[in-house]
Amino acid sequence: MSDQMSKDPSGKRIVTRRAFLGAVTALGAAAIAAGCQTPAAAPTTAPKPAATTAPAATQAPKPAATTAPAPSAAAAATQAPTQAGAAKKLAGVSLNGALFQHPYSDQIKALTPEFEALTGAKVNIDVNVFANYNQKMDLELSTKGSAYDFANITFIYTSKWIGAGWFTDLEPYIADPNKTPKEWNADDFAPAAMQALRGKDGHRFAMPHECGGQLMAAARGDLVEKAGLQMPKTFDEMIKVFDAVQDKDGVKAFVEDNLHHWESIGYIQGYGGSILKNPPDNLTPVLDTPEVAQGAGFYANLLKKYCPDGVLSYTDTQAMEAQLQGRANFRTQSLAWLSPIADPAKSKCATTVKYAVFPSGPKGAFPQINSHGAGIPIGSKNKDAAWEWIKWAYSPEMIKRLSIELKYSTICRLSVVNTPEYKKMMTLNGQDVASLYANLLGQKPAYMAYRTVVPFPQIGAAINKAVSAIATGQATPEAAMKTANQEAAADIKKAGFKIDI
Amino acid sequence: MSSSAVAKQSSKARRRAWTRPLGYAAVILLIIVVMFPFLWLLIMSFKPDELIAAWPPVLFFQPTLEHYAALFGGQYQRSFTNSTIVGVTTTVLSLLFGVPASYTLSRSRIRGQGPIALWILATRMAPPIAFTIPFFLVYQRLDWLDTLHGLVIVYLTFNLSLVIWMMRTFFDSIPRVLEEAALIDGASVWGTFLRVILPLSAPGLAATAIFTFLFSWNDFFYALILTRTKSMTAPVAVVNFMTYEGWEWGNIAAGGTMVMLPVVIFSLLVRNYLVRGLTAGAVKG
Amino acid sequence: MADRNDTRASTDLQQLVLAPAHGWENQRRREFMYGLWPALIVLVVVTLLPTIYLFVTSLTPLNPTLPGSETDFSDPLQNYVALIQDGRVQESVWIQVQLSFWTVGFQLLAGLAVAVLLNSRSRFLEAVRTMFLIPMVLPPIVVAIIWKVLYTPDISPFHLFLNAIGHPMGAMITSPDYALWSIIIADVWEWFPFTMLMLLAALQMLPEEPLEAALIDGAGAWQKFMYVVLPLLRPAILVAGLFRLIDSMKAFPLIYILTQGGPGSVTNVTNWYSFMQAFNFSYLGFASAITVVMVLATFLLAWLIIRTVGMEVDVE
Repeated sequence: MSDQMSKDPSGKRIVTRRAFLGAVTALGAAAIAAGCQTPAAAPTTAPKPAATTAPAATQAPKPAATTAPAPSAAAAATQAPTQAGAAKKLAGVSLNGALFQHPYSDQIKALTPEFEALTGAKVNIDVNVFANYNQKMDLELSTKGSAYDFANITFIYTSKWIGAGWFTDLEPYIADPNKTPKEWNADDFAPAAMQALRGKDGHRFAMPHECGGQLMAAARGDLVEKAGLQMPKTFDEMIKVFDAVQDKDGVKAFVEDNLHHWESIGYIQGYGGSILKNPPDNLTPVLDTPEVAQGAGFYANLLKKYCPDGVLSYTDTQAMEAQLQGRANFRTQSLAWLSPIADPAKSKCATTVKYAVFPSGPKGAFPQINSHGAGIPIGSKNKDAAWEWIKWAYSPEMIKRLSIELKYSTICRLSVVNTPEYKKMMTLNGQDVASLYANLLGQKPAYMAYRTVVPFPQIGAAINKAVSAIATGQATPEAAMKTANQEAAADIKKAGFKIDI
Repeated sequence: MSSSAVAKQSSKARRRAWTRPLGYAAVILLIIVVMFPFLWLLIMSFKPDELIAAWPPVLFFQPTLEHYAALFGGQYQRSFTNSTIVGVTTTVLSLLFGVPASYTLSRSRIRGQGPIALWILATRMAPPIAFTIPFFLVYQRLDWLDTLHGLVIVYLTFNLSLVIWMMRTFFDSIPRVLEEAALIDGASVWGTFLRVILPLSAPGLAATAIFTFLFSWNDFFYALILTRTKSMTAPVAVVNFMTYEGWEWGNIAAGGTMVMLPVVIFSLLVRNYLVRGLTAGAVKG
Repeated sequence: MADRNDTRASTDLQQLVLAPAHGWENQRRREFMYGLWPALIVLVVVTLLPTIYLFVTSLTPLNPTLPGSETDFSDPLQNYVALIQDGRVQESVWIQVQLSFWTVGFQLLAGLAVAVLLNSRSRFLEAVRTMFLIPMVLPPIVVAIIWKVLYTPDISPFHLFLNAIGHPMGAMITSPDYALWSIIIADVWEWFPFTMLMLLAALQMLPEEPLEAALIDGAGAWQKFMYVVLPLLRPAILVAGLFRLIDSMKAFPLIYILTQGGPGSVTNVTNWYSFMQAFNFSYLGFASAITVVMVLATFLLAWLIIRTVGMEVDVE
């Protein structure tokens, strides 16, 4: 444990929180084995020299009970047998994890010291913003390296990463009762969320924490009402409403992040456009149609006309901040990014936010639906321990706690989604958002097939470039999408696929 | 500078006495403009969060060390250790291999010096990605990604040629007469080198060592591709701050300041050799 | 090559000390070569072999998602064909040309102007000169962070100032019209000290005679500068320009931090495109081909430097 002691510049020994938690590990594990409900070490507890804390704690096993967030009694109880066994197994194990920045990641990272206390493992989690995460992880996975023991599989990379054999098949872990107790219930995850996380053989390669379906939220719904209008249901109404609320109270009508190839597709498909001819069998890109140009043009115009300055480089977090701070009104995005607006602790718009479904275009409504999860990279040298973390982070108890106590919305365990507590929690600013979400969970839309093909990242990059070129007036929608089509075709061919062009 | 140049300067100065204050004013103004971006980051790193975006800027505030405190412990601190280990190791290795080679090139005329020179200059100037792709592929096989020794070897690609070419200019400036006596007495080439030449070139050696250290400390591209977690260097770690700590500008500024301070201090120590170092010895300045 | 070197090498020292015995000469030569060999071997291993490997890779469709692509030489020129057909490569070269032209141009102008301003013996200016060097010696990644701060409207003093006087300005790094300029400004700031330093050294080396002749002729300060000083500075300007030109192709951290090649492809220079292709989209073979071309271009420029100015330029 001496390596966990770090020296501060003056050379004085200081004890980090991790060292402290490590020190109480043995105690925690022992206490659990004895079957008593030990409060998990509170992250808020002031670090104390481990040497003095540990013996003291042995005698009084409730050192931090008052400051600790109430731990789930059920979790402690059901996991006691496995965790006690794991405690010996994972002591001295060092796990590295990589997650992309997301409300879920932030919360689970903050809770992970509890996992460390339970199992004795030392866990380091790197969190990066989505685009950056994909770049880095794609590079790391392509080497089949051992840098990370658990990592997020992100939606557009699911086919590439699973298909190329860069993630570990989880079925053996799920099937083995010694590794996974029956109560853990792997089949509880919504089929819509699991769909993309399975390999061609139907095996599961990751467990989902988000089933992201696009909904619409207006942080300042009051401005819409004040204008005598309702939440828009169609693209045309969107423009009408946006024109009416733009710059009212200094609030921009719209905001989005820079992942245009996610945000724009619902609009492209709403106008009747498609991305690929017939995925996954025929990957010929069909971005050069008038419908695609219309949809991309519509979306780019939203970015150009109604958004805060610099929106083209906004990350997910920055776009969410704009809504939380009340600088921007509407956003069409996954619920995980929209539900925090109703949280008075984070948001200035908790009492004005309004939710609605994704609007329809002339050809119908095509809310984009994805899922993200965590799996074990193939090169990991601590797969069993990594599974312990996944099991802990995605257990029914943890998911319940994350959603009910910590207000995390886009969970995928149906047993939790169907509880009255979840329904109550997801009644946001008086609106029943739970049923909007449950409705998305039940879908497995065929129109999403374009997105889970191996070369989608390249196709996405071409679309991204085109949308930003349209939004900045560098090219007409037609010209930009035509270029995108050429680029996508070249890249799909370069990736070894036969297409019609 | 020659004495005639000094004379020229002073005569010019007399003639232009009246323009001097004007020139000074321009220089001072320029200094402010040039230094501003650098100073802004430096000051930002000591500003409390609520003052970072304040306008008009608060000039007098209680400086805080909270941003620096936030960096201690954990990965960021380790990245500094990594950068230091890699920098020192690559410097020692480059000098060990490069200095004797440089001496040989300076003292003995070898056919093919031209092509060797061109090769060395070109490797110094080639875009890093040219070496990154092959090293990435080979390291993947050897399981050397995310290792410190892997990084040290990559840094030899530019630092070894730097040492060879920079030291050569120093050796060239040492008169050969000095070795003659020893060599006629039958002393060995390298014995003479160690006893006579090396001590004389100590300042050049120090400058070269600092340059190799700085170039490896400053590298971003190789480290970005070839390291992941345990061998991450400081420049990559500071960028990570920009992507996962939710744009905590104060911490980013503090991290950036910590990366640059040693560099600024060392660089100003070798300021008289800057041109030589940055052109791999192709230009003496 | 090695054997040839060995047999034909002769040291200056031998010529100086005269009449050496043959064995002695050989031994001396061998001794010298002991110093060169280790470095040459290391250089071959860390630079020559990787370059050859890069070239070999460029002949395959290497892509980690395609098993066996590493050794697939069935269509060795496919990457080069794709490269010629890829409009993005040509576009990226053109963007690079613009970026290089403006950065090198402004660096030479600014460097020259400041060098002239500082070209006088005074303790004040000596001290000040050191301060001008700071942008150049900062780690490139820190330079990028500094400009990220200055270009981010929420916290940039420029934007805050413009807001305060009622003339808010859009973010430069996300504007297609200004993104490239935002890189150019940052790069000029970072590297004008380099050209300044080289030109200042050259200025202080100028021979007296032509300047005095010009004064006797009664040439005005401006004419003297244009017709006497500038031509004398030409070699130094050329060298400084060439070095900056080569380095301008490697402006990676600025683009990585500020624009990521965007918006659209406004700042997508060849180096960045190659990086994205290799390490984001797994087209390692294709990226190798782009890189081979870039290396050839660098080689050409390095050769140009050596040809124009010899191996060594003494501007002291």
